[in-house]
Amino acid sequence: MSLLSIRNLHASIGDKEILKGVNLEINRGEVHSIMGPNGNGKSTLAGVIAGNPKYTVTAGEIIYKDKNILEMPVDVRAAEGIFLGFQYPVEIPGVSITNFMRTAINEQRKYRGLDPMNAAEFLKLMEEKKKVVEMTTKLANRSVNEGFSGGEKKKNEIFQMAMLDPTLAILDETDSGLDIDALRIVASGVNQLRRPDNATIVITHYQRLLDYIVPDYVHILFEGRIVKTGPKELALRLEKEGYEWIRKEMQ
Amino acid sequence: MEPIIQELSDLRQQLRKDEVWRDVDFSDLLNDTMRTPRPEDSGHYTFHCNIPMLDTYSIVVENGFCNADLVETEEGIIMGSLRKAMQTYPDLVAKGLDHTPGDNAYRQFNKAHYSDGAFVYVPARCSARKPLQFISMHTAEASLLVQTRNVVVVEDDSQLTLIHCDDTTNTQRSFANNVTEIVAGRNAHIEHYKMQNLNDQSGLLSQTFTSLQEAASLLSVAITFNGGYICNHAEVIMDGEHCSTEVHGLYLNDKEQRVDNYVFVDHRKPNCHSHELYKGILDDSAHGTFNGHVLVDEGAAKTEAYMSNRNILLTDKATVYTKPFLEIYNDDVKCSHGSTIGQMDDDAMFYLRSRGISQRSARTLLLYAFCDEVVEKIQLTTLRTRLSDMIKQRLHGNLTACSDCVLGCNMPCGCSNSMFDIDTSLL
Repeated sequence: MSLLSIRNLHASIGDKEILKGVNLEINRGEVHSIMGPNGNGKSTLAGVIAGNPKYTVTAGEIIYKDKNILEMPVDVRAAEGIFLGFQYPVEIPGVSITNFMRTAINEQRKYRGLDPMNAAEFLKLMEEKKKVVEMTTKLANRSVNEGFSGGEKKKNEIFQMAMLDPTLAILDETDSGLDIDALRIVASGVNQLRRPDNATIVITHYQRLLDYIVPDYVHILFEGRIVKTGPKELALRLEKEGYEWIRKEMQ
Repeated sequence: MEPIIQELSDLRQQLRKDEVWRDVDFSDLLNDTMRTPRPEDSGHYTFHCNIPMLDTYSIVVENGFCNADLVETEEGIIMGSLRKAMQTYPDLVAKGLDHTPGDNAYRQFNKAHYSDGAFVYVPARCSARKPLQFISMHTAEASLLVQTRNVVVVEDDSQLTLIHCDDTTNTQRSFANNVTEIVAGRNAHIEHYKMQNLNDQSGLLSQTFTSLQEAASLLSVAITFNGGYICNHAEVIMDGEHCSTEVHGLYLNDKEQRVDNYVFVDHRKPNCHSHELYKGILDDSAHGTFNGHVLVDEGAAKTEAYMSNRNILLTDKATVYTKPFLEIYNDDVKCSHGSTIGQMDDDAMFYLRSRGISQRSARTLLLYAFCDEVVEKIQLTTLRTRLSDMIKQRLHGNLTACSDCVLGCNMPCGCSNSMFDIDTSLL
């Protein structure tokens, strides 16, 4: 049984239909890359899986761990192990990262019937996970993403992923706005978190990220549908030839 | 209706064309059953403040009367009933009474009819060892119109921290028309923290007039937790160079409540600084107004003045009117003003919830973060910690008009059924 199974998914924002019948199967231990031109539904797909209320699902289903998650609120999906790394992480002035993560971890633990993590344990976990993304700054007194550089924001997303230890991580253009060193650090963080019992979806524009995070499958999302699936070499062809041949093939 | 209550109700007619007062209307709060307090209404209440680690001097004004004797502390501060002080220390009272500029019909009315109030005198070169807590409490099982008058005189090179609580412990409709005058000498430094928690039926007009001499400073933070109609009116005159004024406010209102904040700061001399930050969260059908006015006089070069009002409306029925206003007659100044009215930030909500934080906690976290910018202005750590706890309770809807003294300080956050465990020391 696959970890995630998306069947004939249609979703819209307002009156505009963006996803027009997406099918996707993901198993534990796999890394899938979703590529495609701008405005064809990549971020929408990520948002719909995570449960962003701004999208309306009009048809189809998403089965995750044998449950239909479309009925689940956002926070329950997260507690079930779905993590979304944001393309544009939100700045939240006044909320410290420490409190944010402590609240998140303890609410997830509560959902799973576990006792809250005590402060000492939590701080130890934080120090440990900061190393995953080579984070050296003191986080305790900083507000979530406030005044962070583009690179820091993306590192912070991977740091949160490390803290929450999800089963399915969806990384939405985690490489955008990163210089080459930050890209290497972020990719290395993702690779360290890779295990046989979890899975990752990497949404990207560029082959470059896939040099570091090597996918098992590459999917092309075009005009609201996954029109092509192939091995990692497919990404190289896109890098070289662009999307024009896909458009022609479609016609 | 007692004639005095009718008279107060009629003030609205006189002020209909006054820019500051035209929207202020207390007539719904004033009715036939209301009366003025009698001395026998007070003296039944014993004050205990339950804020841990907060050691204060205290003055209690119960239903308009202050029964305790005048006290002179070790460091030479005189405090107690204003009426008694007028007998015993007429010269000291004269230094503050009617000494602050600013006039309006409600102030006049208070002057004509006030029953009593608190008097505080801090002599020159004196730092109060403890904060002074001043509690104005409505406890009577009758509907009262209370008018109190407070006078605070802080002489040159002295310091005072004032904690000013306006509370009701009853469920009766009451109305208070209170006036506080603060006179600060050269290099005097005053912190003034106001907490307001009235029942849903009651109203309060709280006017504070402050005058600052050279190099004096005022830091005022007013937190409005609850109340049928709360109207704060603050005027600060900076009458010497190098003064600093900070007047901040936070209001959290719901149901049919109404909250008005008026602030006027007059820069009369050069090199003064002022900052006003007012933030509010309005739920249900609550209505708020902010009316801020900074006046920079012709001679007030090198003025710095910043004013900001930010609001979150949680429902479609909550409303707020806001008018930040600068009036500047000097070219060599740095001034800014602004206001915002918004809703909960959907993107931020989704971000928090996508990490597994429930809707309720995410909402509290974001609203608390919004409030924190005002709360962190409070310099007194013990008070700040407790107030932030109470704000969280209020945001959870757990804090109602209290059963015991100030804001139910005796109910520590976390013993309620809230699952929101947040350690404010880390914020």
